[in-house]
Amino acid sequence: MLKILIPTLFLLPTTWLTSSKWLWPTALTQSMLIALGSITWLNNTTDTGWTALNSYIGTDPLSTPLLVLSCWLLPLMLLASQNHLSSEPMNRQRMYITLLATLQLFLILAFGATEMIMFYVMFEATLIPTLLVITRWGNQTERLNAGTYFLFYTLAGSLPLLVALLMLQNSTGTLSLLIIPYAKPLLLMPFGSKIWWAACMIAFLVKMPLYGMHLWLPKAHVEAPVAGSMVLAAVLLKLGGYGMMRLMIVLDPLSKEMVYPFIVLALWGVIMTGSICLRQTDLKSLIAYSSVSHMGLVAGGILIQTPWGFTGALILMIAHGLASSALFCLANTNYERTHSRTMLLARGLQIALPLMTTWWFIASLANLALPPLPNLMGELMILTSLFNWSAWTLILTGIGTLITAAYSLYMFLMSQRGPLPQHMLALPPSYTREHLLMALHLIPLLLIILKPALLWGWFAC
Amino acid sequence: MNPFILSILLLSLGLGTTLTFASSHWLLAWMGLEISTLAIIPLMSQHHHPRAVEATTKYFITQAAAAALILFASTTNAWITGQWDINFDLHFFPASMLTMALALKMGLAPVHFWLPEVLQGLDLTTGLILSTWQKLAPFILMCQIMPVNSSLITFLGVTSTLVGGWGGLNQTQLRKILAYSSIAHLGWMILVMQFNQQLALLALIIYIPMTFSTFMIFKTNSSTTVNTLAASWAKTPALTAITPMILLSLGGLPPLSGFMPKWMILQELTKQDIPLTASIAALSALLSLYFYLRVSYAMTLTISPNNLNATTPWRLQTTASTLPLAISATISAMLLPLAPATLALLSL
Repeated sequence: MLKILIPTLFLLPTTWLTSSKWLWPTALTQSMLIALGSITWLNNTTDTGWTALNSYIGTDPLSTPLLVLSCWLLPLMLLASQNHLSSEPMNRQRMYITLLATLQLFLILAFGATEMIMFYVMFEATLIPTLLVITRWGNQTERLNAGTYFLFYTLAGSLPLLVALLMLQNSTGTLSLLIIPYAKPLLLMPFGSKIWWAACMIAFLVKMPLYGMHLWLPKAHVEAPVAGSMVLAAVLLKLGGYGMMRLMIVLDPLSKEMVYPFIVLALWGVIMTGSICLRQTDLKSLIAYSSVSHMGLVAGGILIQTPWGFTGALILMIAHGLASSALFCLANTNYERTHSRTMLLARGLQIALPLMTTWWFIASLANLALPPLPNLMGELMILTSLFNWSAWTLILTGIGTLITAAYSLYMFLMSQRGPLPQHMLALPPSYTREHLLMALHLIPLLLIILKPALLWGWFAC
Repeated sequence: MNPFILSILLLSLGLGTTLTFASSHWLLAWMGLEISTLAIIPLMSQHHHPRAVEATTKYFITQAAAAALILFASTTNAWITGQWDINFDLHFFPASMLTMALALKMGLAPVHFWLPEVLQGLDLTTGLILSTWQKLAPFILMCQIMPVNSSLITFLGVTSTLVGGWGGLNQTQLRKILAYSSIAHLGWMILVMQFNQQLALLALIIYIPMTFSTFMIFKTNSSTTVNTLAASWAKTPALTAITPMILLSLGGLPPLSGFMPKWMILQELTKQDIPLTASIAALSALLSLYFYLRVSYAMTLTISPNNLNATTPWRLQTTASTLPLAISATISAMLLPLAPATLALLSL
């Protein structure tokens, strides 16, 4: 673990000490080497389930895919940000890379933490660099409101989580993830344990986000610069899912009745946010609501606590992370050329930028969960386990899948097909950097088709 | 001010607090409190500005009333129990009176009304002394009379955190914001004081560098309102980048040091089986966080060419030393990894 942590930490001196000519290439190379090194974590062979284990940090089949995703995303974020930051003073460029690198550090520590309080501290710590990236480098006035919503929604959910974790520590004496699965459940008065269950889960449900508590997400995703949108969509939402999966084990007998309202909200949210996507004029807002929709499915899969549910949730999280981040990068290529997010302004782009259409096509297909992509695998596993839990959910999830296909196709057709508008005269052609960025997003997604067992979590055997 | 007079006043200030620390007799403790009050009065009104004189008068009246109440309570306790020694437990009636008197001295809700107005009338340096040094003596006395009347203490604590949060929401003057921040933090300290005095001391020890850094940052920028902070990016770019960290640490966000006392206090409250109080206190910290966030928005996160919401003031080179601010800023932002060492040093 230190082989990855120390190079990530030393990304900070790298950004401040390299000369301005070599800043971006060096940062990119170092983060890419870290990402390639992190892929070695996927080799989970120990019998206990925990690999690379020391007193504070360890990896297991649940956290490794998410860790690899976070590490993979940093070079991609740097590639995506290079253009819009080139006009800023050098110190601010270095500050931006520093914020992304510290976010990376906190994410690795969060996914690798074996103790729940460490996970909590790192979970909260990721808020600060993200807040600074959104509110300082976002482009519209609304970014201040977006930052406030982001911070306060997450904190209002997670402060009760801290108290709940401390109560658990009081009763079991430890919060180590290696021991908690074997500890006695927390025994409180009936009403008290329901409140305690809710306190444990609400933080992660807000982060995921669950449909009723999702208002921060469209604001934050839209106002953030591209690196902020990428990391939010790809990794930070998955922190919520990961936390839920870890804590579910401890909450067991209570969850039987408590999950009902949240499953309802999750599945209804899939349909509602999907329908909202069909009416969006803002491209980034469409992709943001699509994230809420997919994460509603993930939440549903986790809340029913079955092996296929968990596996489907993990696969969908990784696949959605890559696909959604790719879509945000594509939206950014539009934004950098037209300085507008309105879909109506940048349409018919297949004529102007035909090579980018390939990436738009693959990313849209990934978003609508086309076989044999892992997105479909995740969605099908969740769908099936929900059907097993209750046959009626098939109506909701089926309609949800249909709406997802509809808005993904709508997004593709609006941006790529049709006549090129008359006012688009001076579009720079697609840079190699942008093609590299899209390839690095979508080729791993395609490679996962060959061995999805890497992402199956605890049930890979 | 004449350097001899200034040194006499500052030394008397130190003497007063030290006398209270060292005393085991209630009369001596009271005398120490009076000496520090009297010593700070000329410091507050040194500029002879009407607003400063008004602040001085308000401070004198409230502190004198509190000190008189302390004298009365300790005398009543001596009458009832026959003991003047601080180490012996107080009878419950003088104990409650003493608690309210010390609350008035420190500026806890619901007797906090003097603090924002007094702090607003002072210049930043005297305000700093009021917020940090003047809190030490009543704090120590409060620690020594515990445990007393648990519901009163919890009421003082929760009310202070809520008032500190809500009161600061409508402020644009930085000194009033810091006053409400002081009320909120003292509320947290009081909450845990009845169970574990060392944790209250930890909270105080972390709070003092954070407040010191904030006052020093405002002094470096010569700004007293939120709007004038907006020009600091041109004066001190590095300080502008660090200030959000200090402010968010005041708000208690991990991974900054301000999280440490809050975490430990929540842990202690949960161990003592009052998780509901713990949750209320935790959520009230969000109120304070809102106005800290607003100050950091105005100062750092809306930098030109995005927004410029203040006219640029005169930028004069400062001759003051920057070392104290450097040290206290580092402590206020980066002490959380050293939490085990800090707790061990307080023999927890």
